[in-house]
Amino acid sequence: MKPILAVDHITKRFGGLVAVNDVSFDLQEGEILGLIGPNGAGKTTLVSLISGTIAPSTGKVVFQGAPIAHLPAFRRSRLGIGRTFQLMKPFLGLNVLDNVAVGALFGTGGGRSQLHRARDEAAYWLEFVGLAHRAQQRADELGGPDRKRLELAKALAMNPRLLLLDEVMAGLHHGEIDEVVTVIQKLRSRGISVLLIEHVMKAIQSLSDRVLVLHHGNKIAEGPPQAVLSDPRVVDAYLGSRHK
Amino acid sequence: MLPLVPWIAPPALIQFGTTTLLIATLAQAWNIIGGYTGYASFGNSVFYGIGGYGTAIAMVQFDLPFGVGILLGGALAVLFALLLGLPVLRLRGHYFAIATLALAEAMAGVVSNLDIAGRNIGLILPLRKDDVLFYELSLALLALATLIVYWISRSRFGFGLIAIREDEDAAAVMGVNTTLFKSLAFMLAGFLSALAGGVHAYWITFIDPVSAFDITLNVMMIIMAIFGGAGTVLGPLVGAVLLASISEVLATEISAMASLFFGLVIVVAVIFMPRGLADLARRFRSLGWRYFRENLRLHRL
Repeated sequence: MKPILAVDHITKRFGGLVAVNDVSFDLQEGEILGLIGPNGAGKTTLVSLISGTIAPSTGKVVFQGAPIAHLPAFRRSRLGIGRTFQLMKPFLGLNVLDNVAVGALFGTGGGRSQLHRARDEAAYWLEFVGLAHRAQQRADELGGPDRKRLELAKALAMNPRLLLLDEVMAGLHHGEIDEVVTVIQKLRSRGISVLLIEHVMKAIQSLSDRVLVLHHGNKIAEGPPQAVLSDPRVVDAYLGSRHK
Repeated sequence: MLPLVPWIAPPALIQFGTTTLLIATLAQAWNIIGGYTGYASFGNSVFYGIGGYGTAIAMVQFDLPFGVGILLGGALAVLFALLLGLPVLRLRGHYFAIATLALAEAMAGVVSNLDIAGRNIGLILPLRKDDVLFYELSLALLALATLIVYWISRSRFGFGLIAIREDEDAAAVMGVNTTLFKSLAFMLAGFLSALAGGVHAYWITFIDPVSAFDITLNVMMIIMAIFGGAGTVLGPLVGAVLLASISEVLATEISAMASLFFGLVIVVAVIFMPRGLADLARRFRSLGWRYFRENLRLHRL
């Protein structure tokens, strides 16, 4: 298998703080890679480095065989990299349908040029994430869980090959988590590769083919979910070494 | 019906109409960069001034016809918007507003020292006593600006601008070329403002640095656009016509205190309908008088 995404010795410094330190990993075509780590581990920074909203201090990002670290965010998204934001960023002044239509208008390969076709596609993705009944509401009228769904639908409407999901299950209750897990499984069956940042371990375990663990910006473990989650270094990172 | 107004209206009304149509055009142009893109530009009066000076210089110094002059003025404004936009459009929010605010002063200073622009004395354009013509030109300009905004409101380009206004990072990761779209919006706003400046200069037959780069004009177009509803197709137009009329009536009825009352109108509007007439029209039907109460509560008054 050839990787859809290869991150090669990437480092990001914010002044004196090293948010991501020399991290390398591959993500295979069609794979779901879980990305976990305590708060402040650098997970969101890593996603931003891949999606292009921030530039790396050093290191390479290769997507479908081509280096992309020098490209602006909008070019990367048109190549097929979609992302959601942990701190959700709905377009508050637009209705829910048009929020998603933006993704269809500008997504992979330049997107649709016609508004009505983009809206048709947006309606499809709203149905897909279970938000169709709110299509005509303004985004600022949505509650937290629905904003998570909207965030997901916006990214999906871009027709991405690689999806970076930054805590799309945070704040959801059990039933809602199961729904999102089902959505992600459907995406896998469509061949979309996923980098899944999540604190919900149940979801990480049931979805991830492999798991990667960040701690203080360093990669401290990588491998199958069960092995990684029982790794003493990972347990230490989460619970602190004094628990022993 | 509006094009026929000059044949039935007295000269004073035609002049008031021309002034109003021109400032409505400016409010509509501001709407593109400020209302749709979310970049509160205080530099649009600079484009207006450039358009006026471009027209004046072409006609006075090079004996070119008005049509050529105004297009040169427009082209100059587009170029200026492009060169200026690249650095200042990188700034967001208040920083952008402040950076553009400084421009008007700087431009007045620059033009005051240019021989070709008549230094601080200004230029006198060829006289053309034809108020009807200028009224129709202004009307055509406003129609053009409004058509462009209408197209924006239902195009991919417009959706990109709105996405930038709502959240620029989110817009970028969804594939919007933010730098390009912001620059295009700025250039479009600059072009339309410059055309208004060109028509005004030829109509008034005189242009000088102080009046050409008057920052209160920029404040005026922002107030009008927001009063009517920034980011809507008809809001800025309605806002401009209404506020200009109120201002005119106040000036004739109670000339001494006109600006005081005009200020009062704006304060009341900002408190009770901060999102403008368009939002009021949309939501008053369902909310009724509660609409005003909720806005009042928003201000914690």
